[in-house]
Amino acid sequence: MITVYIGPIILGLLLGFVLGTRIRDVPESGLKFNASVYLLFIIVAFIMAYALGPFPYYIDTPFASGFVAAAVGIILGKLTFGRGTKPQKTED
Amino acid sequence: MSTILKIFVFPAALVIMCLGVLTILGGHITPGGGFQGGAMIAAALIFCLIVYGLKDSPFHLSHDFLAAIESIGALIFVFLGIAGLVFSGFYLYNLGVDIYNIVPVAIKNIFDYPDPTHAGILPYLNFAVGLKVMVGLTAVVIAFMGFKEYEKGSNESDDEFEELDEGEVE
Repeated sequence: MITVYIGPIILGLLLGFVLGTRIRDVPESGLKFNASVYLLFIIVAFIMAYALGPFPYYIDTPFASGFVAAAVGIILGKLTFGRGTKPQKTED
Repeated sequence: MSTILKIFVFPAALVIMCLGVLTILGGHITPGGGFQGGAMIAAALIFCLIVYGLKDSPFHLSHDFLAAIESIGALIFVFLGIAGLVFSGFYLYNLGVDIYNIVPVAIKNIFDYPDPTHAGILPYLNFAVGLKVMVGLTAVVIAFMGFKEYEKGSNESDDEFEELDEGEVE
């Protein structure tokens, strides 16, 4: 039976969410990071989490749940608040 | 910066951020913690700032955001310290573990960290320190990059003034 510890999942999701909300598309830079980048990121995140194992010294899931929670949090943050294309303001 | 770097750095920064978060979350039982994890997240943000530049960075780090996160980190730390003082009489007492058995069970359950180690407030302190360090280190680099741009702008305006002065003399 798989036991899931909610502590690292909630804190990981929260930190990832905060970071994800800061992502903006900057059209002036000429680069556009579309959905494929995030799809690739989530696949790589799952592979890395599986390679890390049930870090740190947990024996709940076969992958690092905090790592996956942070990745999911970044994607959720990007989808909810990170959709704007506001350019970076360098001075007040 | 080269196009290869511009394509590679953003996804790499996301992965580095996740590793930083994992370092923060494992701080109470593994090497690492709030400072180290926060520094790793800051490194990812700085990586983006260096490669894309301050204006074109995909992470929009406004002054308000940096100030808010820094304040939230400090307030969480102070709140946990004062909570220990209020409920046990000791500043920063680990209410979730309660080794002296002086705290009501309800309070102990509130501050408990739901993982097999039941480390109490330590993971929350790591979280707060992680937020502060992440923002602090990133703000230093943003400030330096901002000064550089300001210096560049002021040099250009000095050149314009010199040209104007020379024109007047002639």
